[in-house]
Amino acid sequence: MGVALRGIRRTFPDGTVALHGLDLAFEQGEFIVLLGPSGSGKTTACRMLAGLDVPSAGSIEIDGRDVTALPPRLRGMGMVFQNYALYAHKSVFENIAYPLRVRKFAADSIRSKVQAIAALLRIEPYLHRRPAELSGGQAQRVAVARALVWEPAICLMDEPLSNLDALLRLQLRTELKRLHRDLSKTFVFVTHDQEEAMTLGTRIAVLRDGRLEQFEAPRNIYRKPASRFVAEFIGRPAMNTFDGEVRDGRFHAPGWAVPVGDRPAGPAVLGIRPEQIEIVSAATDDAFPLVLDVCEPVEPDILWFLRAGDRSLIVRGSGDDITAESGDTVHVRFPRVALHWFDPVTGARLP
Amino acid sequence: MTASAAWRRVAWAILAAAVVIAVTPYLWLLLTSFKTRVDILSPQPAWRFAPTWANYPAVFIGKEYLPLLWNSLSIAGCSTLLSLAIGAPAAYVFARERFPGREDLFFFFLTTRMAPPISIAVPLFLFFTATGMIDTLYAVIIAHTSFNLSLVVWMMRGFFADIPREIDEAAQMDGRSRLGAFVGVVLPLAAPGLAATAVLCFILSWNEFLYAFLLAAFEGRPLTVGIPGLVTPHGTLWGQVAAVAVVATLPIVVFAMLVQRHLVRGLTFGAVKA
Repeated sequence: MGVALRGIRRTFPDGTVALHGLDLAFEQGEFIVLLGPSGSGKTTACRMLAGLDVPSAGSIEIDGRDVTALPPRLRGMGMVFQNYALYAHKSVFENIAYPLRVRKFAADSIRSKVQAIAALLRIEPYLHRRPAELSGGQAQRVAVARALVWEPAICLMDEPLSNLDALLRLQLRTELKRLHRDLSKTFVFVTHDQEEAMTLGTRIAVLRDGRLEQFEAPRNIYRKPASRFVAEFIGRPAMNTFDGEVRDGRFHAPGWAVPVGDRPAGPAVLGIRPEQIEIVSAATDDAFPLVLDVCEPVEPDILWFLRAGDRSLIVRGSGDDITAESGDTVHVRFPRVALHWFDPVTGARLP
Repeated sequence: MTASAAWRRVAWAILAAAVVIAVTPYLWLLLTSFKTRVDILSPQPAWRFAPTWANYPAVFIGKEYLPLLWNSLSIAGCSTLLSLAIGAPAAYVFARERFPGREDLFFFFLTTRMAPPISIAVPLFLFFTATGMIDTLYAVIIAHTSFNLSLVVWMMRGFFADIPREIDEAAQMDGRSRLGAFVGVVLPLAAPGLAATAVLCFILSWNEFLYAFLLAAFEGRPLTVGIPGLVTPHGTLWGQVAAVAVVATLPIVVFAMLVQRHLVRGLTFGAVKA
C-alpha cells in the first residue's frame, strides 16, 4: 500500500524533458520531500501526483490503483501552493470551507470542521477576513487549512514556505512537522531549500535534471550522498569536493596533497564536509598546511576559507578555536572516516 | 499665485470647455424634445420657450414606437448575453491553454472587426434571408453578437490572464472539475471585468444602426432604426426625433455611469489577486 510513480516521463511541447522516467514509491504516512534546484523536475513530479499535469509516459498508483488518468478531484489529495492561491472574493472561512462545500458536506459539519482546523493552525481570529487582509504567514496557514480540512489521505505542498520571510518560514516549518505528526497523513513537500528538506522529511528524493539522484532518509542523504551532486547540494556550507588523483597513498589536487591511506591509484573526486575537517596547531604527519584567505564568523561557529590551489577549502569550526588572521598558515587534518569518494566522470559514489 | 495653481486653472478651463462641447448637443436635444414644431423651426433658436409634453406620447403611443424600445432592449440584452456566453469561455481557453496557432486564432478574432461593417452587410442579408430570419430580432442579435464576440474575447483574455493559474488548480484540488473551477471560482473572480465588458457590448449593440436597419427594417427594428421613420415627405418631425433620441440615450447614460465604476475596478483588477 502506498503511492508509486512508475517510469514517469514528461516532455513539454517545446521539447524540454522535465522528467526522464522517474520511479518513486513511498508509504502512506510518510513526509516525503522532493528536493532539487530549479529545473530539476520536482514541481512537475508533484503536479503529476496531483493530476494537474499528465505524464507523457509512465503510470501513477495509489494503494495499488492506477490513477494516471484520474482528474485531480478524484485523487483524494489536498494541495498547498507557493503563492497561497486563496479565493480573493471569499472570506477566510469560506476559503477553508470550499472543499467541503464542493463535496456536499452538511452545513453544521462544515462549521465544526472549519473551526477545528482553524484552531489547529491558529487562524480562528481571521475567519471573517478577506484573503487580501492577511499577512503572508496567515495566508499560507489558511491555504494549509483548506488543503487539510476535508482530511485527504495525501497533502501536496509546492514550495509553500518560499514566499515567507525567514522567521515565519522557521515557525511554519515547525508547525508543518507538528501537523504531520498529529494528523498522520502523507505529506509530499517540494522545496529547493536543503535545510527545509533535512528538517521536515522522513525521506528525501533529490532530483536533478529530471532524474532521481537519491531517495533516502535525511541522515543517509547527509552521511552517504549517492553522488557528487547530492554531496554538493546538501549541507551548509556544502561539501568540499576536489578533482584530483590518488597516488602512493596520497590524494593530489592542484597545489596541495593529503594522505588518504590505502586507496586504489587513479583519478578520483575527494569530498569532505566543512564541519568534519580538523584544524590542528602544528604539523603532524597526516596534517598539511594551507593559507587562510577569509574568515566568516557565523556565531557560534566560524567559516574559514583556505586557499587550496586555485580553489577554496571551506572549514566550519568553533568560533572559540584558534585565532588566525588572513594570510596566516593553518594546518588541517582530514579524518579518514570523513572522506567521501566519487567517480570523476559519472559523479557516482565510490566505496 | 503659484505656477501649479495657475496650471490647475488652465486644466479646469480645458475641462470645462470639454464638458460644454460634450453636453451642449444633448442639452439642446432634451430642450428640442419639449418644443412645439413652431419653436423648433423658429429662425431664432430660444433657450426659453413654453414647453410641451406632446412629442413623447405622439411618437411612443401615437406612432407605436414603444415596442421599438423593447426591441432595442431585447437585441442589446440578448446579444450581450450571447457574446459573453460564447466569448468568455473562449477567452479563458486563450488565457490558459497552449495550443498550436493560438496567437493566430486570437488575432483572427480581431480581424473580424477590421473590415468596414458594410462589407459583410450583403452576405449577412443573403444569409438571413435564406434562413428565414430576416426582419426578426434573431437576425440582429446574431449580427451584433458576431462583432461583440471579438470585443469579449479580447477584453476577457486579459482579465482571465490576471487571475493566477493556481487559483484554477486550487479549485480542482478542492474537488471541482475544470469546468467547475471556471464557473465556480474563475468567473466570480473575473466579475468586474465581465461587468465592464458586458456594459461595452450593450452600448455598442444599443447604438448600432447599420445591421439593424438592413436586417430588421420593419418588425424587429430597434429605436435607432425607428428614427429615420420620422423623416416624412411632409418634413422631419424634429420634436419626435428628439423625444426618441432622449429615450434612446437614457439607458446609455445609466450604463455609462456603471461602466465608469466597473471599468476602473476592471482596470485595477490585478490588485485584487491574492
